[in-house]
Amino acid sequence: MTLAVFLPFLFAALCAWLGTRLERRTGYVAALAFVPALLLALPLSGMPGASPALEVTRWVPTLGLALAFRGDGFSLLFAVLIGVIGTLASLYAVAYLSERERFGRFYAYLLLFGGSMLGLVLSDNLVVLFGFWEMTSVTSFLLIGLWHTRSAARDGAVKAFLVSALGGLALLAAVALLGIAGGSTTLSGLDVEALRASPLFTPALLLTLLAAFTKSAQLPFHLWLPTAMEAPTPVSAFLHSATMVKAGVVLVAKFGLLFGSSPLWGGIIVPVGLATLVWGAWIALRQTDLKALLAYSTVSQLGLLMSLYGLADAEGRFTATAHLLNHAAFKAALFFVVGIIDHETGTREVPRLGGLRKAMPLTFAAALLASLSMAGVPPLGGFISKELFYEAMLHRGPVFIAVAVLGSALTFAYSFRLLRVFWGPPRHPPGAEPHEAPPGLLVPAGLLALTALAFGLLPGSAEALTRTAQNALNFATHRGHLKLWHGVTPALLATLLTWGLGAVLIGQAAQVGVLGRRLTPRVNANTVYYALTEGVNVLSSRLIARTQGLALPDQLRIMLGAAALIAGYAVWRAPQVFHPVGTPPLALLPVAALLVAGAVGVLLARSRLTAVVVTGLTGFGSAAAFLALRAPDLALTQLLVEAVTVILFLLVFRSLPRSRDLPRTRWRYALDLLLAASAGLGATLLVLAGVRFLAPPISPYYLANSYRLGGGRNVVNVLLVDFRGFDTLGEITVVGMVALAVLGLVRLGKKGRAPGGGAPTPVPATPGEKEEA
Amino acid sequence: MSPERRTPTPPPLSGDPILRTVSRAVFALVILFALLLLWRGHNAPGGGFIAGLMTACALILHRIAYGHTALRVDPARLVPWGLALSFVTGLVPYLLGRPYLKSDYGYITTALTGEFEWATALLFDLGVYLVVVGGSLAIAYGLIEVNPQERVEGDE
Repeated sequence: MTLAVFLPFLFAALCAWLGTRLERRTGYVAALAFVPALLLALPLSGMPGASPALEVTRWVPTLGLALAFRGDGFSLLFAVLIGVIGTLASLYAVAYLSERERFGRFYAYLLLFGGSMLGLVLSDNLVVLFGFWEMTSVTSFLLIGLWHTRSAARDGAVKAFLVSALGGLALLAAVALLGIAGGSTTLSGLDVEALRASPLFTPALLLTLLAAFTKSAQLPFHLWLPTAMEAPTPVSAFLHSATMVKAGVVLVAKFGLLFGSSPLWGGIIVPVGLATLVWGAWIALRQTDLKALLAYSTVSQLGLLMSLYGLADAEGRFTATAHLLNHAAFKAALFFVVGIIDHETGTREVPRLGGLRKAMPLTFAAALLASLSMAGVPPLGGFISKELFYEAMLHRGPVFIAVAVLGSALTFAYSFRLLRVFWGPPRHPPGAEPHEAPPGLLVPAGLLALTALAFGLLPGSAEALTRTAQNALNFATHRGHLKLWHGVTPALLATLLTWGLGAVLIGQAAQVGVLGRRLTPRVNANTVYYALTEGVNVLSSRLIARTQGLALPDQLRIMLGAAALIAGYAVWRAPQVFHPVGTPPLALLPVAALLVAGAVGVLLARSRLTAVVVTGLTGFGSAAAFLALRAPDLALTQLLVEAVTVILFLLVFRSLPRSRDLPRTRWRYALDLLLAASAGLGATLLVLAGVRFLAPPISPYYLANSYRLGGGRNVVNVLLVDFRGFDTLGEITVVGMVALAVLGLVRLGKKGRAPGGGAPTPVPATPGEKEEA
Repeated sequence: MSPERRTPTPPPLSGDPILRTVSRAVFALVILFALLLLWRGHNAPGGGFIAGLMTACALILHRIAYGHTALRVDPARLVPWGLALSFVTGLVPYLLGRPYLKSDYGYITTALTGEFEWATALLFDLGVYLVVVGGSLAIAYGLIEVNPQERVEGDE
């Protein structure tokens, strides 16, 4: 399992490197990365009887962090699903992508995404689960924004990232609360009894829900999913059917066992899920872009899954798992079909297409099977799971079943709308000659469509797969079966009603369109999102204009004032008994004089140059002080930093105008004097207070062990590279980031606009400077 | 000596013959000393950070004296390599089942050099050195390349 999760990450690096060499054939390498995930079918076949395997790789034991992967039935089932769709998407992309695509980048992102998702479903450690959760957010951002030259793609990527990252933060908080209340960082090790008794139970529940709703695009967070279709179609198929959007469903399924006892859990999820089901289907019905139609259809189907898992009983979980499999099969197949249509005709707009049946019969067959499964028509898998869904809702009450029927009727209608492009007189954009898709595109779509058919004709197969998760999701007690014909039941009647309603919706399409335009709310999730993002922009620019637009002296005054306040507060809150200051070592007296002289010299300096050199005096003075205190390493560092600083100062001053004194009133003088004095005093007090150790110093340990453990006699350096090596790593990361940031600023400044805001003046590239591509 | 490259605008601060002559001698000495500091940092004052700053000083001096860089690469490109080196050095003991970044050391005795100590910490320090050289030079070179005749407009 560990291999299954990490191989895609390794292969991502490999594909990035191979991308330019193998070009489109990189897809075959990418497909190989999912082989271990597919091999998880072996332990899966032993389910539901076998006990789940647990693989643990220690990471940070002190924090209870370990890469723990637990192969229970549900996780394995999902991992295999990801493996199958991931493999098919990789192979499909080989035939789908254009010649000019950056294959290395595409496949690397795709594999990172698949790997994150595998880690998410298999992870038993909550913190690691959160980590993978966030990685899916980041990688989906990269994938959606793959064609970053298009503004819609950038917008979609940012939107998806913001919404799901918000949920990610909620999940982090939820994980922390669970860890505190349940006494364990692993999902299987949580103490459920203690958790239910804990006051943290409700906040953790709500935060988990927020995370699941954002990730799975439930109302009102559904706004990001339709814009996510800016990603290339193979990615959409992967993302909509097996990965990211199902992550929230997985979370609800797994955590339902913890939270399901609370009435709040079902009380929130079921209404939200059903509302999403109806609303998503309603909007999907009014789309003209095939891909947008499918995107909203995903929103709606996720609502259905959510509401089923939210029931928190064995029946709901059984039905939801069955539908999850069906949905993955038909939704990925439909995305592949839409990809084929787009590929062959160059458009996805329903009004511009028609009669494609004759040109591409095989594609039509695949589309027909998948659409009928989505519409819930026998003899396909979707019909069976929809019947069970009705059963479950019938047990809940009349309102629930009514909403379910309405949602399904809309689903029925848009499924046929999708098929409309295959009937009627042949219509396609001029210049396109649609003919049957190449096998590379057709095989993935066909396989999945046949799977959807198999799930219906051989319901035993789907049932066996669903049953593998019964111990993990605790529905072993549910006696339900997947059957095509189960007699005339209320559910069947509801289905007939659904078809009737669906037929009406199709027949009265014109009136429905009018109604739809009437019902379009003025404010929707998107307008709220844009208002928020714009608002933050405006707020921040105003805030910056108010606070950062001051002259440099004013900035300094603010900083010094704040420093004085903080230091004063600290000394006041923790009044140490100051160490009696012994006789100061005489060697330090000249150094102190040097430091003071430097500081005074700056004030008296007439020009900038003098000021900088005199400032250097204080730095070199500090270095001398370090030497006197027997710290040669520190002294050396201080000396060199000071030298480099002076050089940089001088370089900056070359491009500044002549210095001039800002006029200062007498009152200002007094204020500045007060500020400087209090800042100095505060710093002095802080240092003096810090001299007295409250705990025994730690230096003896290092002095004793540096040679034995680190093999070095220079304790300072052994600290840096061994005992505290991780800090140093962080340190140099910061150094690198600062350097890049300054470099960016300087280069921006060089491209500075000409006076009057004209065109940018081209600056000739100087040697040693790489031209940015 | 690197070949003389033609610069579009003669860079400021360069072309002083005294500076050039002195810098030629000083440059080699400072670089050597910096490498010595890097080498002995484990057992005596010195280390990657100090050595990096010293190397940067020497290169800046050279650049100011000659008007062109002594490096063949854009210094900013040293930063990721240095980071990667330090990171990977830490990764090796972790993969061998020891704590991340645990350093190892040992002794090799040859007839020529006598007892010689090696330490993996040196590799880590080399990464630090590269990052510091790359970072500080990137900033300094960026500032040197600013043409002071250009009036960069302030806030609009």
